[in-house]
Amino acid sequence: MTELGQAYITSTGTFLPGQPVDNESIEQKLGYVHGKPSKLKKRILSSNGILTRHYALDDKQRSTHQNRDLAVAAARECLNTSEVDDKSIDLLAVASTQGDLPLPGLASLVQAQLAIGPLEILTTHGVCSASMMALKSAFNQLRVGEKKNALVVASEMASRLLKKSRYEAVNNLRIDLESEFLRWMLSDGAGAFLLQDKPRWRGISLRIDWIEIISFASHYDLCMSCGTNDQSLWSKDLDQTERNIDFSWQDYASYADAEANGALLIRQNLKLLEDVVKVGVDGFLKLINDGKINPSEIDHFVCHYSSHHFKGRILDLLKLAGALIPEEKWFTNLYTKGNTGCASIFIALDELFKSGNLKPGQTVFCVVPESGRFANAYMRLTVVGGRDGGAF
Amino acid sequence: MVALSEKEMTLGPKAQETLRHLLRVWLDFERKLQSIPILRRLDQRTFTPEDYRVLLLNMRPQVIEGSRWISRAASSFTAEYSDIRSMILRHAVDEHRDYTMLENDFLSIGGNLEEIQKAKRNIGTEALAGYLMNEATKPNPINLLGAMFIIEGLGNKMASSWACAIQECLSISDKSTTFLSYHGENDETHMQKLYDLLDDKSIAHDAADDIVKTAKVVARLYLLQLEEFDNT
Repeated sequence: MTELGQAYITSTGTFLPGQPVDNESIEQKLGYVHGKPSKLKKRILSSNGILTRHYALDDKQRSTHQNRDLAVAAARECLNTSEVDDKSIDLLAVASTQGDLPLPGLASLVQAQLAIGPLEILTTHGVCSASMMALKSAFNQLRVGEKKNALVVASEMASRLLKKSRYEAVNNLRIDLESEFLRWMLSDGAGAFLLQDKPRWRGISLRIDWIEIISFASHYDLCMSCGTNDQSLWSKDLDQTERNIDFSWQDYASYADAEANGALLIRQNLKLLEDVVKVGVDGFLKLINDGKINPSEIDHFVCHYSSHHFKGRILDLLKLAGALIPEEKWFTNLYTKGNTGCASIFIALDELFKSGNLKPGQTVFCVVPESGRFANAYMRLTVVGGRDGGAF
Repeated sequence: MVALSEKEMTLGPKAQETLRHLLRVWLDFERKLQSIPILRRLDQRTFTPEDYRVLLLNMRPQVIEGSRWISRAASSFTAEYSDIRSMILRHAVDEHRDYTMLENDFLSIGGNLEEIQKAKRNIGTEALAGYLMNEATKPNPINLLGAMFIIEGLGNKMASSWACAIQECLSISDKSTTFLSYHGENDETHMQKLYDLLDDKSIAHDAADDIVKTAKVVARLYLLQLEEFDNT
């Protein structure tokens, strides 16, 4: 086997639409469902700790952008601070929970608007770890020498699922924690990375040491989904014959029926969230045991979860097992930029990359737990200095 | 949640490594527990009084066997391991009459004493008890710390939540779940002793692999015991 090359994140970008929306104005922005204030909002907001976020919506819940626009704006910022021309980009990978159109893939729309290529494209679809899937694919293409400059974009426009009209369209609406939880959790935004087969000439780059993605979908039921009004119908333990006929939004006679039946609400099974943390911890312990990461060598820990999700016995046990990453190493901008699904990890790394706090030789460890159906992504980065010999 | 002592905050690197391996065995075990039909029903709150009866009937033989292998293990330690022997003996004293709690729980839900006392080992319990007794008979069976990690872990991490769920499903009080409640409250102390032992240099260095392997076997056989309820 020929020796594999390296891949480096050499430039980053973020785009967040509109002004930051604080907790007081969030419901005004998304709209009062049937004119009434939410009873669960306060409780959910205090548990996620988010203070401000962005939505691509105007005050009447009309979209101000397409998802594609968010992706392109982040990509532009990333390219503007890079050392390469548009025409050198040979791969465009775009990740999102939901593109603008059911087809074609979001990468096609983003490429068209960026006006780059001809080049290879990749669209990944999933939930929070979709961006890491796109990143890993680009990383490997660079490592095998097939590509030199890959643009990887993660973009989310969750507000389309969260505006009041989505809830009002449901017949006999009964809003419970499962169907409302994500309304106060998710928001819009995009992040972009440029991956190159060599570090920047000037300034720092992030060498990707490895990316591991581990899915446990065969072990757990749906935890976060959109497209069914009953997540339990998708249980791994349910016999095919026990399932209702109308169980995917596409199986209804009309899309209007699907919406009226609540199949298009975004849902979170809160009971399973603790298991998401456990599965994440299990993967982390595996990586330590495999020698891929040593908790004591981590200088910056970027996790799509906030530290307050790790509590109780699991925290004690991690501490005891020497696998706890001290609070001061955690980096997050979740509280001010919001939870932007698969874009969150890119948006956090973008801020860290530009913070001036990264020094050559440092280790950055990233974790993206995806609750959708238990797919967790892990990545180790090493900060490297510019090829000109200066660190900055 | 019990605060961890200073000593445990600073386990040696080898003990930490062993604990990380044990934690992964535990997390895998916990995942598989969720697929056990009776526990799944408990989780989904479709657990019935009959389920609880069956649970108690199947637990008793294991609990009886448990006190036997622990006592046997204690007697298999030579003088150089007298600390462990004392610890295990104390543990055996703590738990060797546990089955009376089970019996009382069974009676409190309308069961009859003779029935539970006659309950036979299911084929999973046979396998688990046979394996543990065999290991306990070997000289200085330090590997059984792995067994304790799983079995005490069940008490420590699961018993309380099971007790609460059972009370909720069956509308019964904590007086009918004394066995599970006791373990939920007391196994934390047992776990702490176990961590101390893991950190003992003579143990941690020489027996780490065996401890982890034993934890895996016990986890697998414990699942088998739960899968084979009433298969006697």
